[in-house]
Amino acid sequence: MPNNFFKIENVSFAAGGKNKVNNVNLNIDNEGDIICVLGPSGIGKTTILRTIAGLEKIDNGKIILKNKVLSSKEIHVEPEDRNISLSFQENCLFPHYSVEKNIDLGTNRQTMKKNKLDPKDIINFLNLEKILNKYPHEISAGEAQRAALARSLLSQPDLLLLDEPLSNVDQSFKEEIQVVLKKILTNSKITTIIVTHDSYEAFYLGSKCAIILDGQIKQYDDPYNVYHFPNSVEVVNFLNRGILIPAKVTGENSLENDDLGIIEGNFIKHYPKGSNVKLLLQPEDLEHDDKSNLKLEVVDRKFRGTNFIYTLKTPSNTLIPVFVHSHHIHQHEVDEKFGIKRPIHIDHIVCF
Amino acid sequence: MFKNLNIWFFLSLLVSIVVSIPILTVFTSFFENTSNYFEILKDTFLFEYILNSLTLLLGVLIFSSVIGVGCAYLVSFYDFPGVKIFKWTLILSFAVPAYIYAYSLTAFFENYGTLYTILKSIFGDGNYNNKIPKFDGMLGAIISISFSLFGYVYVLTRASFHYQSQNLIELGQNLGFSKKDSFLKIILPSARPAIVAGLALIAMETLSDFGAVSFFGISTLTTGIYNSWISFDDLAFANQLSFFLLIFILGLFFIENISRKKAKYHSPSRGGHKKKKKIRLKGSNSLIAFLFCGIVFFLSFIFPVLQMLYWTIIFPKNFFDLNVTELLLNTIYLVVLTSSVLLIFSFISNYGNRVTRSKLLNVLSTFSITGYAIPGVILAVAFITFIAWFDNTIIKSMGLFSIKKFFIGSIFGLVIVYFIRFYSLAFNGLKSGYERINRSIDESSYLLGYSKLKTFLGIHIPYLKNSIFLIGILIAIEVIKELPITLILRPFNFETFASKAYIFASQDLLEAAAVPSLFLILIASLFILVTSRYILND
Repeated sequence: MPNNFFKIENVSFAAGGKNKVNNVNLNIDNEGDIICVLGPSGIGKTTILRTIAGLEKIDNGKIILKNKVLSSKEIHVEPEDRNISLSFQENCLFPHYSVEKNIDLGTNRQTMKKNKLDPKDIINFLNLEKILNKYPHEISAGEAQRAALARSLLSQPDLLLLDEPLSNVDQSFKEEIQVVLKKILTNSKITTIIVTHDSYEAFYLGSKCAIILDGQIKQYDDPYNVYHFPNSVEVVNFLNRGILIPAKVTGENSLENDDLGIIEGNFIKHYPKGSNVKLLLQPEDLEHDDKSNLKLEVVDRKFRGTNFIYTLKTPSNTLIPVFVHSHHIHQHEVDEKFGIKRPIHIDHIVCF
Repeated sequence: MFKNLNIWFFLSLLVSIVVSIPILTVFTSFFENTSNYFEILKDTFLFEYILNSLTLLLGVLIFSSVIGVGCAYLVSFYDFPGVKIFKWTLILSFAVPAYIYAYSLTAFFENYGTLYTILKSIFGDGNYNNKIPKFDGMLGAIISISFSLFGYVYVLTRASFHYQSQNLIELGQNLGFSKKDSFLKIILPSARPAIVAGLALIAMETLSDFGAVSFFGISTLTTGIYNSWISFDDLAFANQLSFFLLIFILGLFFIENISRKKAKYHSPSRGGHKKKKKIRLKGSNSLIAFLFCGIVFFLSFIFPVLQMLYWTIIFPKNFFDLNVTELLLNTIYLVVLTSSVLLIFSFISNYGNRVTRSKLLNVLSTFSITGYAIPGVILAVAFITFIAWFDNTIIKSMGLFSIKKFFIGSIFGLVIVYFIRFYSLAFNGLKSGYERINRSIDESSYLLGYSKLKTFLGIHIPYLKNSIFLIGILIAIEVIKELPITLILRPFNFETFASKAYIFASQDLLEAAAVPSLFLILIASLFILVTSRYILND
């Protein structure tokens, strides 16, 4: 199994001078890996996919697939000769062909893969049987997206690029499709790059995630690390998974915040005692306990099905999110006091 | 810049050069000296030419806007007996060229004409000729051209009314507008760009008209161009007259283009169009609406058809004397050849624009469609001028054989000028077809491993087959009706229905002109009916 299956070396991506992403370096080590690219809208994620597919040219750097240079300043392999498939975000089915014919066109490419995908299985997995005889204008956006996904999967390319593949799929159906998609990609060893703005989708599907912010890749790591050990304030803000509060390092395993008191845990990076830091506080870091003497005012309560998110105000007017399970007894109204369990313990202490 | 120099660029450049020949010829000829005839004419007839052209223009615009907008309004907003039939029969007027309408009008009202015969058969002998009104001269030309061309305003305005959102009308009702206020303050202003675009097209065609005005003996800029070439053999003066006419026409061309772009704002968006509820008319209102549309349909289509049919029946010899098969084959030959050449080059330009995305190519293509604005007479005369100049100055100086006979009085030359005149029809038709194919469709095809050629043959052609069929038919309608280019550039003894009808009419043999005219109308009507859904923009 080759290492460096796919490689982007120092490439700047730009389409029409817009959405520029600079000096990107990205490796996919093994065939069959799934990489998710996360980033806010309009930052150039789609441009990256289009460039990898050969629909845009590059002025510097190299794009290499299976040790063959596909794009560089001098070389540009045409899209039809790359064996890379891109499934667009918008409907890109051929309007004058039925869904079945559209899907069948995916089998045009003579794949070198040992495990050939059976069109019937893919149609079945993606629940497309009922719309096979329909034409693209007769089906919903979600159905069109699934049909385009089936077509791309059946082409079994060396590299599959999916641009927001499930953005139009119903929420109720999305998780089911995610499971099926992951299974197909893993079993058939199709190396895939997925662009999405849905962090949960990226964390589930991706063996690695790349976070693009401010025109560059800020973090490229496995999903667990991206979530628990974000490497910059920008990534924290983008993932919107907590807040940064001021704290002072008081020991090897502790720090102190004026409002919350002593916080204990394991630092992922060493800071000298007495350092002033910004501590990442995520909603699940604090626990509810009405017997505690640390009580904060409730300013908002959001019901999220399996849990509630309370927003609490500290004496210094910092707003802190706290996650509480739905079945836990905690019916606090706005303006009431909400107890926080002490001592506060955080498994991974992330500071900046 | 040089990376854009590919096969698509050079082919588009070739089309642009061919189209620009007549325009450049007209503009350069303006500064050339001419015979003394120009001096005489400049001081005497030129003013008359311009005045007559403007009078004709004004008359046609007023008349055709009243009947065009009136019919479009009634058909779009009201339900009355026959409305569904009127909706598409009103476009049959496109099948009747103004010159054939002019023959019918004259034949019906002339002394001892058809009306005289009818009156005589009903009331017996009498001095009816003095009482029968005469629709000749300027009035006849205005009526003939208006009934032949009002369809442009009707079609564009109806499409605008048709796609006007019901929400817009309901909004007016909620704001307490009366029906009259709704029409004047909401419906009409919102359709204004479409009406202006229709009128600009009519104005261009009116200024270009040759057959009807020459039949009625009105001296306009168009007949002046034709006469100075045919009668006085003064190509330079013909081109100088063309210059004046082109100034008017190009102004109208820009108005039409701007208005058409504005009219696009009223086109339906997917899923956002709520079907309008038509108001059911009762009693006298229903009768008035029926009569208005019915009379317009009768006068614009039934009347000339009946007149031509009447003559064909009472003078059967003309039918048997005319070699209909030969005329039909000649017409089909021209239609097939012209459509093929136009479609091939339109595909090259459109496909080139699509794959290269070059702005320069886009500009060249836009320039290439200006041919439709230029009157056929000007195109033909300017083409001859250019070929004569090219032959005399370039070919002969190189010691080569004259090329005039290849271009003038030949099918080849005829098709080139048809090409210039109708290129916009084919180019825009394919362009709108291509605009419906999202670029990501092409990209998906490449990414599935299909080459550009396979994408073109396997995706574009099947998807555009309806557009190709429609364009072919629209070109056929235009080629069948086309008169001045055919008349000036056709090979010796090569006739079409249009040229044959004109020749008979110009020899005062209106009865004989009836047979080719009738065939022309019937074939054009058939094509119009086949494409009616497209023409009506439904």
